[in-house]
Amino acid sequence: MNENIQYIYFIQHGVALGYLIAWYLWLISLAEGTHIVAHLSWLYYRTEDYRPLEKVGTFQPFIILALVPLFLVVDLGHPERFYTMFYNWNWTSPVAYGVYIISLCMISYAIHSYYLFRPELIHRARQKGPLQGLYQLAVFNQVESGDIREIRKRQERRERFWAGVSLLFSFLGLIYLGILLSSFKGRVMWHSSVMVFIFFSFGACSGSAFLILLTQLKNSLAHTPPKALAEQQRYLSEFGIILKYSLVAQAGVFFVYFVLLQYTGIGGKLASQVFFTGPRAFQFWFFQVAIGLILPFVLVLYKKMRENVVVSCIAAVAAMAGTLFGCVNIFIGGQMLPMTNFRWEHLQPEPAKMTFGIITMVLMFVVFLITYKILPYENIEVREGASS
Amino acid sequence: MEKSRKSVSRREFFRKFGKQVGGAGVSAFLVQVAHPSLAASSSTKKYGMVIDTNRCIGCHGCTIACISENNVPDGYYRSWVKIMEKGSYPDVSTHFLPRLCNNCEDAPCLNLCPTGATYRTKQDGVVHVDRQICVGCRICVVACPYGSRFLNPITHTADKCDFCYHRITLGLQPACVDACTGKARIFGDLNDPASDVSRYLENHSTQRLRADLDTRPKVHYVNADEYIMGPDYSRLLAGRSS
Repeated sequence: MNENIQYIYFIQHGVALGYLIAWYLWLISLAEGTHIVAHLSWLYYRTEDYRPLEKVGTFQPFIILALVPLFLVVDLGHPERFYTMFYNWNWTSPVAYGVYIISLCMISYAIHSYYLFRPELIHRARQKGPLQGLYQLAVFNQVESGDIREIRKRQERRERFWAGVSLLFSFLGLIYLGILLSSFKGRVMWHSSVMVFIFFSFGACSGSAFLILLTQLKNSLAHTPPKALAEQQRYLSEFGIILKYSLVAQAGVFFVYFVLLQYTGIGGKLASQVFFTGPRAFQFWFFQVAIGLILPFVLVLYKKMRENVVVSCIAAVAAMAGTLFGCVNIFIGGQMLPMTNFRWEHLQPEPAKMTFGIITMVLMFVVFLITYKILPYENIEVREGASS
Repeated sequence: MEKSRKSVSRREFFRKFGKQVGGAGVSAFLVQVAHPSLAASSSTKKYGMVIDTNRCIGCHGCTIACISENNVPDGYYRSWVKIMEKGSYPDVSTHFLPRLCNNCEDAPCLNLCPTGATYRTKQDGVVHVDRQICVGCRICVVACPYGSRFLNPITHTADKCDFCYHRITLGLQPACVDACTGKARIFGDLNDPASDVSRYLENHSTQRLRADLDTRPKVHYVNADEYIMGPDYSRLLAGRSS
């Protein structure tokens, strides 16, 4: 291009969708990924000892999906019209499908969680105690007879059916996130066939990391029998292996993504520059690559490190931070590429919305802690009549 | 034995599967035909604009007229003029590019609007925003490859140029066209061969913004400098942002 070009007058458009929506995308990928890893692992192990981890991997994503629409609602110009998205439906818009996919996903997680907890809830509902009424309410006052093993056997088909449904919606949710961004044909950074795979890799990494973190948290807060604890540590160590390979997959997907961007004209080259030397360079190299990819990979590389509670928790937090920054870098960075002028578009600080987002995340964490204290995550292996 | 009664033969499976896929295909086709974004080709009128940049003097009269006609909030623009200087003294040239919504025939904003608040009027192909339905999600603002949309801070809904629809339906010209000092903007029905805009298009070679995206904009430019028409990525690639 001619060197002697001066722009005398132009309009700067700014970044229209900010951090709240980036967090929204990340939290959805986290919830879907957690459930996928938890449930696919169930299909692999198929043992009773694994049930507590499946409960964690189903109920915690439900809490996230129940609260995450708040991020979207707060960011709307007309939050009071949010519900109209359910019936004012534009079939060419991925968001229109997404509203239903995420809602149905949340409902399927709730039903699946209900069946997972139900045998233990019935057992608790039979026992006298301060929360007996709550447990009776949770099972709709249908306190079945028989021991826990029998109740599990009776409801097994329904439980597995809802597990399958929720797994399907989890995959649809991740596909939705990828298609959502790739449908913006003017945004060269998003309009990529790799976007679906990026969200799958984010889901796998953050999901396995979150499952490790939540289960360790559960074990530290709720009483876990020593035998079950030892068994769960074995599963968690194997989640570490999933995390390790997910990190490799994420690095591979990003490599392919950057190679493809190099063949997408000058816009694609500039899009990769946003990550390498542009406005998101620090967040990319430090948080996404160093903290989010290399550190957790090193920490879960060897078996002894994976089995260490502190090390595995640090690796999990680092991997989650990496996917969060990955999501933010793609989402915010994609809007920083100018559409009409020659300068990076700027993101206006939104302190009120950021505060709201942080409060909502803290709220999610508080809800996690409360459920660990109230809900029966651990298997209760007691025969009828011998429980008390 | 019960299992064998419930089993479905391969032939029956394919027959049922084929029926369902066929049904879904026919439904999708019918929805597609009924959808306003794709029914644009059947509209009787097709409003569009030609902007002859040779005639533009960069007075920003169109910008001011648009703001006053449509009550555009301070700091936001439905129509503006991009100005660029090229070359070194004494070979210097100044270029103007009046900008507005292109009311694209395949508008990304319309396709991505989740509620259908962005719609196209069948009779003339103009793209509008229904303020009663818009939830203000800004998907369309991000989707527009031309930066023609913004979230109106007063109505909290998406806002953009609609060729002054309240004027053109009364037989008037858009405010920017009336205000243009150099008569650089020619507006009319692109489907009418006798209209000024159609004749201008026939007699001049024109360009459209971001033709690579195949959005088929209905705003055409005459003799616009190629460097002013799109974003200047080479400058950013070279590490210069000013």
